[in-house]
Amino acid sequence: MTDDPERFEDLVREHQAMVFSMACRYLRNRALAEEIAQDVFLQLYRKLPSLESSEHVLHWLRWVTAHRLIDHSRQEKRRPQSPLDDAPEPVAADSTGSADPLLSEMLRDLVASLPENARVVMILRYQEDLDPMDIARALDMPIATVKSHLQRSLALLRDKLSRTKGVGL
Amino acid sequence: MNLEDELRAALRREDPSLGFAKRVVARAKPSPQSNRPIFRMAWAVAIAAMLLIGLTATYEARQMKAERAGRDAVMALRIAADKLNNAREKVVRREN
Repeated sequence: MTDDPERFEDLVREHQAMVFSMACRYLRNRALAEEIAQDVFLQLYRKLPSLESSEHVLHWLRWVTAHRLIDHSRQEKRRPQSPLDDAPEPVAADSTGSADPLLSEMLRDLVASLPENARVVMILRYQEDLDPMDIARALDMPIATVKSHLQRSLALLRDKLSRTKGVGL
Repeated sequence: MNLEDELRAALRREDPSLGFAKRVVARAKPSPQSNRPIFRMAWAVAIAAMLLIGLTATYEARQMKAERAGRDAVMALRIAADKLNNAREKVVRREN
């Protein structure tokens, strides 16, 4: 692939929603999500000459974004937290088209509270609509691990929803 | 709706703020100034000058230290010689 700036801008436009949304769902912080998404695309720019096809770019972007997010949250855990870090993120107007915006908001919070690997697996499954085999390939993870993350996360979400709001899904 | 459909709706993709792609491209492009040969040459000269100044300063500091050590040694020898002379004079006086 070429690192021609115009072609690169087209690539950014094509994949920006995927990379940004993965970061946003994972971090629940739009500003930080944009920053990380920018870094991922800058890394892509340097890597472009060695990527052979559009599929390769897509696979590379998913892999790098997922690992960047996991690394980021591991670093955050080691960093001493300031009171501002704990401040809740302003809630954006719901643009998901869900029948129940409050439920969507709650689900996003619950997904963001999952452990790092499980969170990425859930985002790839329900944001990117990848099946477990594709997720395993995208994350270099055994398929049994992917399935186990999905099952446990869904069970956890069902349990938390029914306990906090009495929602049965 | 079941949980999986709700999750799909909740985690649907969304776009970053307007101008995101332009901002990324602006960061990716190297600034034209930093690529010009004249700027590269200026950087090289500046770095060479800084190295030269650093080396000269280190050399001068070492020279000064060596000179000071030399002066201290001469002074110590003079003091030792004075003391020896005093002692010798006392011995000569007692013998007389």
